[in-house]
Amino acid sequence: MALGRRTLLSLMPNDFESVGLLGGEDEVSLLEILDHVLNSGVVIHGSLVISLAGVDLVYLGLNVVLTSVETAISNLQAEENRRRK
Amino acid sequence: MSRVLAYCGFQRAPQVSLPATGVQAAPVQVFHLNGLDLLWSAVEWPFIPADMQKNAVEFHGVVHHIFNQAAVIPFRLLSVFDDHQSLTTFAAENYQRFLEDLDRLEGFVQMECVIYPAPASVQLDRSSGTAYLQQKATAMRSAEGFVQSLKGVVAHLSREVRLREGKNGTRIFVLVQRSRENEFRQTVNALPLPDQLSRRVSGPWPAAEFLSDQVKAPQIASQKIAGEQ
Repeated sequence: MALGRRTLLSLMPNDFESVGLLGGEDEVSLLEILDHVLNSGVVIHGSLVISLAGVDLVYLGLNVVLTSVETAISNLQAEENRRRK
Repeated sequence: MSRVLAYCGFQRAPQVSLPATGVQAAPVQVFHLNGLDLLWSAVEWPFIPADMQKNAVEFHGVVHHIFNQAAVIPFRLLSVFDDHQSLTTFAAENYQRFLEDLDRLEGFVQMECVIYPAPASVQLDRSSGTAYLQQKATAMRSAEGFVQSLKGVVAHLSREVRLREGKNGTRIFVLVQRSRENEFRQTVNALPLPDQLSRRVSGPWPAAEFLSDQVKAPQIASQKIAGEQ
């Protein structure tokens, strides 16, 4: 899975490797979960206030998202490599 | 620093069981207002990047615990309220719209199908501009044809279909009757797919793509309305 510099918003499910994270009948990939919990649903006033204030929280928030995706991808790749060995 | 992390809203019902803990193992609490329940936890903010995946899975766990039993309106993980008073104010301003959306979405779940270029066909012919454009146009027509076919075969299971085009493919969101997810999956997977495309079906998810704009982004929507007046 070769990935360049991409943000979570541009990730598509063809990038997603199913890891059966939650067990059960339906395997749910970690990236699908990240995509949904970060990109779907209600955006509330609090986040806009933080954004307008221009404080570090927004910067940190974005950083958190990017870091988490990079980390998620690394973990998935490591898992895939382990399986291939 | 502590913040109020909201997970989701749903219609109050005595038979709905609640999860005990959520993100950062914090107790999950309920805020009630006029028939609407909002789940929330007090969490340490900002999140530590290294814990982000764990937080996401825990958040997903809380939302899906409720979603398995009833329609929910999920919040986004990185949206937090400053304090409990902010949550109370938000609920007072928005509970009617939340309840309207929950009524509309009751009995439905969101299924997704993404279509994207098959790995073997990703290498586009770049020998000439014409060949490249022809190949792109063919791929686009194939995708459009598949979307139309999909809409047709799932019409009896679904109430609404929405599309989102991305640079890597097309994402198709379908509002499907709850308990008919497997039928949807089988129907979509049985649909013939052009060689140059691949598909991935996922769900059920909360019907976040089908929320009204005023619920999805209350502040932005109200600012837009004020600007239009």
